[in-house]
Amino acid sequence: MSITLSWLFIVAALSPLVWILLLPHIKRWSQAERRAESLLHAVLTPEQCHQLRWCGYLEVPSPSAAGRVYRVPRARGSFVQVIENGKAIMRLCVQPVERLPDADVVVLHKLMIEANEEHYLQNANKFLCIDQMSLLL
Amino acid sequence: MGMLRVMSRRGDDRVTWDKQKVSAGDPEAVAAIREAERIFAQERAKGATAFRMNPGKPAERIETFDETAEQIVLVPRVVGG
Repeated sequence: MSITLSWLFIVAALSPLVWILLLPHIKRWSQAERRAESLLHAVLTPEQCHQLRWCGYLEVPSPSAAGRVYRVPRARGSFVQVIENGKAIMRLCVQPVERLPDADVVVLHKLMIEANEEHYLQNANKFLCIDQMSLLL
Repeated sequence: MGMLRVMSRRGDDRVTWDKQKVSAGDPEAVAAIREAERIFAQERAKGATAFRMNPGKPAERIETFDETAEQIVLVPRVVGG
């Protein structure tokens, strides 16, 4: 009896972890995610696809400021980092009004930065990085 | 072929049209392009941003429907999170 209870306890403890590990794969199987993935691959170069897969983010150079790069995360709910000359200066929180598959969100950020940067920055909530804040104080 | 892709929770909804058939006046192709124009206007009115994508060129924001584009992507309005 106690062994059964122990096993039940172990299974109950591990199931959220298993779910967290499997969730990205389950999402990828859904039709919406597959369609979004196809658009993502149509928009990105092979090098950018590789970066997104292995680093978990996509770096989009600013069309207006040399030395500025936007680091767009793959994971939903993360901030877009603004990096200038190799230093993180700001984090941006921008999201679509409609819920989109994760791959579409990456495409959205890339298109907005490349072709509509001013509007993108106007809409974003900005959080200065600590180094920059100490400079302001 | 031209394609309009509208981002949504379903991935993206697509409308395609054959440019050659459109210029030849094919009724089905003309209907497809009219449908694409209607969806474009409807989504723009909701605040969506449109980008023209042509192979080998950077994406370009557009305000009006371009039937000569290879691909148009409509993304929903964005807000600060």
